[in-house]
Parts: sequence; C-alpha cells; structure tokens
Amino acid sequence: MIISTSRFGQVELKQEDVLTFPEGLLGFGDLRKFALLDDPNDEIFAWLQSCEAPQIAFPVLEPELFAPQYKATLTKSDMEALKLAAQEKARYFSIVTIPDDPTQMTANLKAPVVVNVEARTARQCVLQDNNLAIREPIFTKLQQRVVQNPAVAIKNQSSGIDVATKLNIVKEAGL
Amino acid sequence: MLVLTRKLGESIAIDDHIKIRVVQIKGKQVRLGIEAPKDTKIHREEVYVAIQEQNQQSASVPADKTRSVAKLLKP
Repeated sequence: MIISTSRFGQVELKQEDVLTFPEGLLGFGDLRKFALLDDPNDEIFAWLQSCEAPQIAFPVLEPELFAPQYKATLTKSDMEALKLAAQEKARYFSIVTIPDDPTQMTANLKAPVVVNVEARTARQCVLQDNNLAIREPIFTKLQQRVVQNPAVAIKNQSSGIDVATKLNIVKEAGL
Repeated sequence: MLVLTRKLGESIAIDDHIKIRVVQIKGKQVRLGIEAPKDTKIHREEVYVAIQEQNQQSASVPADKTRSVAKLLKP
C-alpha cells in the first residue's frame, strides 16, 4: 500500500508495517494507523507517521539512548490494550519535541509509545511514576553518546530500530 | 456529569474498589485522599493536557530539521 506524507512524499508500506493504536495518541484520538519509518538520511530519529493524516508525524527515539536506567512499569490495562503477554516483549519509543533551537529539544519519558511488535499494536502509555518528565532535556545526553562512539549513527546504537520500516519513497514531497 | 456535595471527611465510592475522601478544605483548596487498586492510574488532569501539548508541538517538526540535528551534535 502507498500512503501520502507531507515530509517524505508517497511512501510504500507493507500491511505488516502498519501499527494499530486502538485509542489513538493523546490529542490525536482519531488517528489509529501509524507506521514507524526509518529515514536513511537521518542519523538519529525514526518517525512515527500517521497513515491517515499526511502532515502528522512524530520524531521518536528509544529512551535507552539518553536514559540508560529507564524503566517503564505498565499496568494491567496497558498490557491488555496492547495484547501483551509479558512486559519484556514491549518496545519503547519517546516522542521528541524539537524547538527552533534544537539544543533545547526534549523527550517525553512520562508517556512513551509502547509497541507490541508481534501483534503490531501500540499505545501511548501514561506512566504513574512521578519522577518521569514530559519534557526531559536530551541534547547534552545525545551529544555524550556521539562523543563516546563517533563512528556509529546514534540510531544504530539502539536495539529497537528494527521495528521501524526502511523509508521507501515512491515520490518525493514537492520540495 | 454527576455532581455530589461532600463535607470534610466524607467520601465517594466509585465502582466497588475506588474511594475518594475529602481530607482537608483550606480556602480555595481541597485535599483529596484516593484509595484505589494498585493498577489504577491516577493523574492530575494537567498531566494529560501537558502530554497533548507535547504531542502537538512534536508533530510540527519538519523532516529536514531532524536530519540536521546530527551535525549539531558532533563536537
């Protein structure tokens, strides 16, 4: 299938690339189908792209890249909504906000997007842990990551990028 | 919306397992005590509003912006 995106033009997807969000994302409750895209021209981020609204896409990062101690505790209802048998089987992605000054960019640790890879179901889970920030500054932490391992692109240092679909552009957006 | 009046120390029961008690009333502030099963999520509404705002702002980032961040990160 081919979906339209405002950032990448026409993108070709397989049926199994589509993630279903039974409840949508907070503030985007009407959108239920997304794909996680791996843009080869981007060394850091993957994109959670809506299959239904071309202009809606979120840059995401795995929290382990900037918060190695990150631990999410899912509730029973989270697990049921995700059709998840064991919490260890879930993959986590933080939605990132990049303001005009990218050094001020932040990631949402409080409400990660949790993916059940096998069932292709996902949910933005609001975690009960009050120590997790909705806007965690991450620029310096990512910079440290680059310094430690300058030869490898950041996203290749994470374990879950294989969940994402390599961006297969059919027709570039009118740039 | 169901609206109930409660005095200090009185409670409201929701379902069989959730109890909300008025613990303190001070000026314009009310302190509530909530008893609920461990698995129940309890958040101030502001948390959801802040997450919605964060999502909205995140969705407005163009692709070339994220691509350029890698260069900035290199010291």
